[in-house]
Amino acid sequence: MSAVAIPAVRRESLWSKAAWKLARDRTGMIALAFVLLYMLVAVGVTAGWWAADWSEVRGGKWEAMSAAHWFGTNLIGQDIFARAVYSTKTAFEVGLVVAVLATVIGAALGAVAGFFNGSWIDEVLLWLMGVLDSIPFYLFVAAIVFAMQDNPYAMHIAMISTFWTSVGRLIRGEVIKLRGLEYVEAAHAISVPEFVIIIRHILPNTTHILLVQATIMFVSAIKSEVILSFLGLGVKDGMSWGLMIAESSQEVMAGFFNNFLAASVLMFGLVMAFNMFSDALQDALDPRKVG
Amino acid sequence: MEILQYTVRKLISGIPLVLGVTLISFLLMVYFGPDKTYELLGKNPTAQEIAEVRTQLGYDQPFLVRYVDYLRELVTLEFGNSDSTGEDVASLLARTIPISLALTGPGFVLGNLLGVLLALFAAFYRSTWVDKAIMASAVVGMSISFLIVIIAFQIIFASSYGLGWFPVRGWSVHSFGDYLSYVAVPTMAMVFVALGYNTRFYRSVLVEEMTRDHVRTARAFGVPPAKLFYKNILKNSMIPIITRVVFSIPLVIISGSLLIESYFGIPGVGKITYDAIISGDQPVLKAVVGLTAILFVLAQLLTDILYRAVDPRISLK
Repeated sequence: MSAVAIPAVRRESLWSKAAWKLARDRTGMIALAFVLLYMLVAVGVTAGWWAADWSEVRGGKWEAMSAAHWFGTNLIGQDIFARAVYSTKTAFEVGLVVAVLATVIGAALGAVAGFFNGSWIDEVLLWLMGVLDSIPFYLFVAAIVFAMQDNPYAMHIAMISTFWTSVGRLIRGEVIKLRGLEYVEAAHAISVPEFVIIIRHILPNTTHILLVQATIMFVSAIKSEVILSFLGLGVKDGMSWGLMIAESSQEVMAGFFNNFLAASVLMFGLVMAFNMFSDALQDALDPRKVG
Repeated sequence: MEILQYTVRKLISGIPLVLGVTLISFLLMVYFGPDKTYELLGKNPTAQEIAEVRTQLGYDQPFLVRYVDYLRELVTLEFGNSDSTGEDVASLLARTIPISLALTGPGFVLGNLLGVLLALFAAFYRSTWVDKAIMASAVVGMSISFLIVIIAFQIIFASSYGLGWFPVRGWSVHSFGDYLSYVAVPTMAMVFVALGYNTRFYRSVLVEEMTRDHVRTARAFGVPPAKLFYKNILKNSMIPIITRVVFSIPLVIISGSLLIESYFGIPGVGKITYDAIISGDQPVLKAVVGLTAILFVLAQLLTDILYRAVDPRISLK
């Protein structure tokens, strides 16, 4: 390998431009800081730095806010703050697992459908996406939970199998567009295998779509998790904001709001920050938008 | 005549989709669903008794026969009786669906109308503070979970800790006044949740239409703003708007009512679905899942046909 001197000219790519645009987007950066803060909290819970005692009974019933219990205690005297913090981990876990897997599956199947556009493979995949989109989400989750009988991952599986279709459709459209470009034709002409063309030359050009879609799905997964856990279809062991809200639905009628507020405010903060970050990312990666 | 042919052709093209959704609900609810053999048997059943019950439930039939049976149930609406209440599922649905429609209808209509209105404002005052304020509120609205909105609105408008204007929960409707008081809080919650998403979506549609070349040309030719707006912008925006509205009908009615009805204790189709999920009531679940999926496919076909009515560019071929 001969060392080639890299010219000192700043190369402008979609990524460097996007990063520069994102860094200048003040709302986007504040949102990102919040997301990272939440992530740190979640990592800390996983590592056992804090909130490890979320399930221990450490006080009386419905204690008010105090130095010992920042958000008070719940019906049986567990610390609400610790439970809310622990739930951050659950939210990140569900969000990450669902967003990553749904993106990967959507990208793979969407790329295959787009690449074989017009053949039976495309037809079958389009049919599958149409079928999955036609079943209302909560019913689909209920059906999977019903069929899988208390499997703790029923919720994840249900979300992944419905979320990937939106990514799949977008990638399919993009791949159909890219497939007609000269550089893919050139790859065909020098007989690069089709599999390699998809993986090496087409999919990397859809990364900006995947990134934005993953952030959108992360938010949807967190929001769905809370509602599903509330309905008793989601998180079974462990703690989640949805379970806290389920607990609180009796308490609020008795005038005790701490449980409800703690879960709601923490969840709102994360979803809001992620939504704003997702918007900023979309703006930064959209080549049609100038400046 | 032409439109009739088109409709028939569209209906035929919907068949694979209907078969697909029914196949999935069949697989999940019936084929891989819970085995009900032992629920119907006494203690220490003999092998013969087990076999009898399995024949009675149709478990000894091959896959295809059972699937076709399920399809027949969906067509004839004979799902048998609910496991938990013993009521005939078809009459259960006939009793509960009108309640859900009455419950979710106002919120659905208002949520879309207000969404379009706000989007018009935002698009009209694009890049000014009006637009920015509306869009920022939309993001805030999108970030609050439906669940939190429902509970918060219940506390604010219906509980003794808040204003206490409306009944806390339930559904005892005997007059139009009753109806209004029971539907108020759920409607407000639905509108609040839908508004953020709707406004964002409709604004992006409207802005895209407003920035098209033909709109600029028309403006340059001195077309009055009202006419320009109605003829060149709103009419062209109708396709994505119709798609969104029609597609969300089955989702709003089922998913929306599931949460609202189970929380407010309203005896609609969402409540019986929720109860069926919790108690594992298979006849109710397979009916609801199968029928909504079919409804959704029909809604998709309806949009395709409506496109034709709205947009002359879409050919019938």
